[in-house]
Amino acid sequence: MSASRDKAGAEVLPSDLGRKQSVWEVLTSEKYFKWTLLSPLLLLLILFLIYPFLYCIYYSFFTYGVRAAPVFIGLDNYRAALHDARFWAAAGKTGQVLVISLIVELGLGMGIAMLFNREFRGQNVVRGLCLLPLLIMPLAMSMIWNFILQYDFGAVNQVLLALGGDKIQWFHPDYAIYTICFINIWQWFPFATFVLLAGLSGLPKDSFEAAKVDGASGWFTFRKLTLPMLSPLIMIIVLLRTMWLIRIFDPLYGTTRGGANTEVLDWMVYRNAFVFFDVGYGSTLAIVSLFGTIVLCAILFRQLMRALGVTEQA
Amino acid sequence: MRRPVNSFLFWLATVFVLFIVIAPISWIFVTAFKIPSDIYTLDLTKLLVFSPTSDNFWYLFSETPYWHEFGNTVIISVVSTVLVMLVSLPAAYSFARWNTGSGHLLFITISTRMFPAVVAAIPMFFLFKQLHLCDTHFGIIMLYTYFNMSFATFLLYGFFREIPVELEQAAQIDGYGRMEILRKVIFPLIAPGASITAVFCLVFAWNEFLYALLFTRLAARTLSLGISSLWGAIEIQWGPMAAGIAVGILPTLIAAWFMQRYIVRGLTFGAVKG
Repeated sequence: MSASRDKAGAEVLPSDLGRKQSVWEVLTSEKYFKWTLLSPLLLLLILFLIYPFLYCIYYSFFTYGVRAAPVFIGLDNYRAALHDARFWAAAGKTGQVLVISLIVELGLGMGIAMLFNREFRGQNVVRGLCLLPLLIMPLAMSMIWNFILQYDFGAVNQVLLALGGDKIQWFHPDYAIYTICFINIWQWFPFATFVLLAGLSGLPKDSFEAAKVDGASGWFTFRKLTLPMLSPLIMIIVLLRTMWLIRIFDPLYGTTRGGANTEVLDWMVYRNAFVFFDVGYGSTLAIVSLFGTIVLCAILFRQLMRALGVTEQA
Repeated sequence: MRRPVNSFLFWLATVFVLFIVIAPISWIFVTAFKIPSDIYTLDLTKLLVFSPTSDNFWYLFSETPYWHEFGNTVIISVVSTVLVMLVSLPAAYSFARWNTGSGHLLFITISTRMFPAVVAAIPMFFLFKQLHLCDTHFGIIMLYTYFNMSFATFLLYGFFREIPVELEQAAQIDGYGRMEILRKVIFPLIAPGASITAVFCLVFAWNEFLYALLFTRLAARTLSLGISSLWGAIEIQWGPMAAGIAVGILPTLIAAWFMQRYIVRGLTFGAVKG
């Protein structure tokens, strides 16, 4: 018996023809079910994504203090932002943190993943412990680090003194940004580590054995075999961490609060919008940084898709 | 990739890594029990040898609204995680099975994570003020639901992709309706992936700070805010703060203990076929 099909390609049984479908049936029918499933998400997206986005764009064209009514000033805010040395400094700082953190995290993650990529006694405990930095409250960690790295009585300086060295001012304006990088890296290196570890443990053994039989050195194997096979995962890590690093905020709140030459993008937006209550300019900064983020992430996303596509063909 | 393992070097490196990881965390627990003079001293031995006191904890529990904040955080984290799962599970299924929106919708969902957190906060602040949602549990819960939604959808999307379509098609041939397929076939298979996602969302909601800072004052205060409030304008109360952090991270430590077995699998969601 041949089945007739409706426009969506779902099978229509003869007994169904001519019967009006109930709302539930329509919603769960082949054509609409996927949208029904998606509806709560879409609702939240519109409410929390589209609306803020449009709001920010709208108010970025105004000056809007707290008490006064908003005044339309056209593109002045954008002009001010692009000429604002502070803004570019903040963008530069964010870029600095991004690049340094990514490189160190990937390097550390790779190294530790290779270290742990073997069976050893107590491996569950060790891996569980290494997971901890990811899960601790970032704000709490930033305050803890603030204390440990305190100039006067922090633990690290105490140890340095005991070893005969000098106390270091960890939050000095010249290199406070590196301290912030360090705090961030400490918190997030387990992420890269575990993703790469999972990748490493999933790699096919045959290619590596063949390489060893052919006499390839360890470094060569790493460059030509391990890295290319792990490239999708590396791209995922880069993409996700980029998205998270651009919005870095918690480590700053517990330590320098934007002082000591560590003002990053998110912090600047926060200060303008919620400390100075300059909603107009804050919105402008937000939109500009958002635009930069989207461009950057879109590029990374394309790279990721390409890397994934290559793997699937192999 | 097996190289001859030099056991000593391996353990040396492992211990070094572990030390870097554990030292700061154990430092909190140690400091929570110290008296102020021991905290502010330069004497190195005081790092390990000190007279323990539970003063910090008593101060924390009686003088500050700690338990109130703790309870708030529990409620907010749990409820928002439940909501996130309710929203993300069907959505991820929709994306994985039918690629709804041809990849664009998925990208938009994920892109919510790209917003610097403050960007969304500005308009939400005004919206919340108008709707009198500031400092309410409901407001923060909705925010956290949105906040975790993209991450959960992305993660669950990967998990759903691992479930072979043939299973569903077999069930369809057998005559199961859509909802029955969801319940009987998909649900048991997605349970481990969904659990990991749920735990992650719980932890993220528990640890979140920026939105709590901006949107709560007194009634719906969360732990992160409570701990940061110990950083006064005049002095920083390290003792009670360490105590607060120590108690505050206990739930996450417990979560970590349960999760560590599944993390390695969960984080790759099948991106690499072994």
